Amino acid sequence: MASKYLKSEQLPAFLESLAKNARVVAPFKRDGVTQYEPWQSGKDVELDVLLAKQSPKEYVFLQTETYLKFGYEMAPVPEGAEGEDAVPYETVKVDPQNEAPKQVIFGLRPCDVRGFVQMDQVFGGYGGFYFDPLYNARREATTLLAVTCREPRSTCFCTSVGGCPSSREGADVLFTQIEGGFFVEPITDKGEAIAEAAGAALTDPTDTQATEANEAKLASATKVDPAFDLEGVRDALHDNIADKRWADLAMRCVSCGTCTYVCPSCYCFSINDSIVETKGDRYRCWDNCFNPVYTEETSGHNPRAKKMNRFRNRFSHKFWYYPDKYDSLLCSGCGRCIANCPTRIDIREVIRVMGAPKEAPAASGAVAASAAAAAAVAAAADTTTEGKEA
Amino acid sequence: MSRQDHIREFAANALTEKRVDYFIGWKQGYNSSEMIPAFVTDPAEADQLVWNPLCHHNLVTFIKRNMPEPADAKVGLCVKGCDSRTLVALLQEGLVDKDRLYVVGVPCDGIVDRRKLEKMFSSEITEIEFPERGKVKVTTRAGETKELDQKDVELIGCAHCRYPNPLYSDNTAGPLEKEPDREETKPDWSALEQYESLSDDVKQALLEKIYATCIRCFACIHVCPVCVCWDKCVNRSRQPELVSQKVGPKENLLFQMVHMFHVAGRCPSCGACDRACPVEIPLGLLHAKMNKEIYDMFGFEPGVKLDEKPVFQVFDLKDQFGD
Repeated sequence: MASKYLKSEQLPAFLESLAKNARVVAPFKRDGVTQYEPWQSGKDVELDVLLAKQSPKEYVFLQTETYLKFGYEMAPVPEGAEGEDAVPYETVKVDPQNEAPKQVIFGLRPCDVRGFVQMDQVFGGYGGFYFDPLYNARREATTLLAVTCREPRSTCFCTSVGGCPSSREGADVLFTQIEGGFFVEPITDKGEAIAEAAGAALTDPTDTQATEANEAKLASATKVDPAFDLEGVRDALHDNIADKRWADLAMRCVSCGTCTYVCPSCYCFSINDSIVETKGDRYRCWDNCFNPVYTEETSGHNPRAKKMNRFRNRFSHKFWYYPDKYDSLLCSGCGRCIANCPTRIDIREVIRVMGAPKEAPAASGAVAASAAAAAAVAAAADTTTEGKEA
Repeated sequence: MSRQDHIREFAANALTEKRVDYFIGWKQGYNSSEMIPAFVTDPAEADQLVWNPLCHHNLVTFIKRNMPEPADAKVGLCVKGCDSRTLVALLQEGLVDKDRLYVVGVPCDGIVDRRKLEKMFSSEITEIEFPERGKVKVTTRAGETKELDQKDVELIGCAHCRYPNPLYSDNTAGPLEKEPDREETKPDWSALEQYESLSDDVKQALLEKIYATCIRCFACIHVCPVCVCWDKCVNRSRQPELVSQKVGPKENLLFQMVHMFHVAGRCPSCGACDRACPVEIPLGLLHAKMNKEIYDMFGFEPGVKLDEKPVFQVFDLKDQFGD
């Protein structure tokens, strides 16, 4: 599909045109904090801050999602009914909710996109498991317009988990910031439709602009420090499950859920009923494996009673259980969990220590930065749509 | 001998003498701009402990109910002035066992607000140094370097700190800091003036707005040293659902109100909740407001005297009930 060019000053008009047919979500800075919010005319998109505090997953996998309204009511007794038929009885009326308005998320990073791609497995029925209609309806109605990272943070490690700051994987369109604007690459049919609808806002790029975009991609990839060697991590986590070092690493964990709620791929939720008199909502809301009552059973027994058990679960799930079940990692290397953890627990350190073979001391993950970055860019260029369409 | 040297020596001795199973202090995180809690078990590793104005973590959190691992461990820890008040609050209520603690008091002349710094630079902060007392040198990933006065970038509570020196400790790391005259000066609540000047409607709207972004990660209550209910927290209860698990402005406000009331008279405004909040909600506002009310009504400052009972554990007919 043909690449395009979007002038920086055309960005508001471009978003305005998208907003005619869909809700537009983008990162905005409010009181010094950058978060994904619905776009309104006149609001300036924040792209200088690399990562919003949270990933945009909440726009597809809602933090609170009421999916059923229900009510108890007495069934009317038919006129002239006799005997058993005349005894009034209670019925439950249920009213499923599944709203999935069209939306476009602009300004998310390739690691944010990859969070969706990874999460798609669990909600999408991969391997014959449950197909979640709520998530999939929203996912289907969502178009992802990713922006190549310009200044990766020191906590970024996408290239260590097979990603890249300019990865096209799962994105519908990839924007790369160049002199005066964006180099725009529509990737999927959805992305192509967006490009067409934008009309005159997008122009044909020059060859120089294409070259500039490629250079920008390579430059950003070289700024991502290698964090660890993924090879063998899964087996090492398996072998090290009873290792004492888990307890050492978990010591400074306060068992809150920050890491999981800022994560682009953590997807645990709980289901609650809220009832007032005879009417109620059934809703799901995010839950996390650090919650002290996570996995607590009705009997009172909790298989993950201790902080250390719950701590171990998060990392093992991302690099061992999930890959085993869904053939995908559950980490895209955004590093939000590191930067937002109240005690700065470092997932890279955990994987370096616990993901290393038992005998050997912690591996340094020494991979030549530039070579790894170049390989990642090359791999990303080959990747087309490995999301749901594939 | 610097405070840091004192801390290292106290820690190494306590571990060598088997006075403690482990010692909690601060060490450098993934770069020199981040200090993190350190758990030292080997006396030889005591030299990784550091002390500088980035050591903001209130380590008392790690000795509250359900945190010490194992539960009966003998623990050594460092406390700053504000941290020590949370420890005193726990001791007043008998929630920790003094005999299993070894406390090193660290006199403190102010802690840097890293978030304040972050907002002054467009690039990520990767290095912070303290070339001399009162000076902060910040370097970003883009290579920009700036030297700042520490007083300009300190935490909100540091400017009017009444207790720079720990109120409870077994040993003190170096000489005491200069104390304000507490007989003459009252706690400074000027940070609340703007909030208090608002009408009720505006206050309600403001509170709903600032809590609207809460993601209910529970970082605020888990780092709170005096918040001890843990798995029995009413805010977590799903059956019965006393506080809605739904995430929204009103529900979030109720959640935070519950926290405020449960720590009232026990919270000395150490600010741990503020610093832990990933979405930077000014959580300390309501706690400070509650502290002011309690001070005005009862003349009580939480966590100050070991033999004092927390204000809500006593009943006194002479108490003032406000106007």
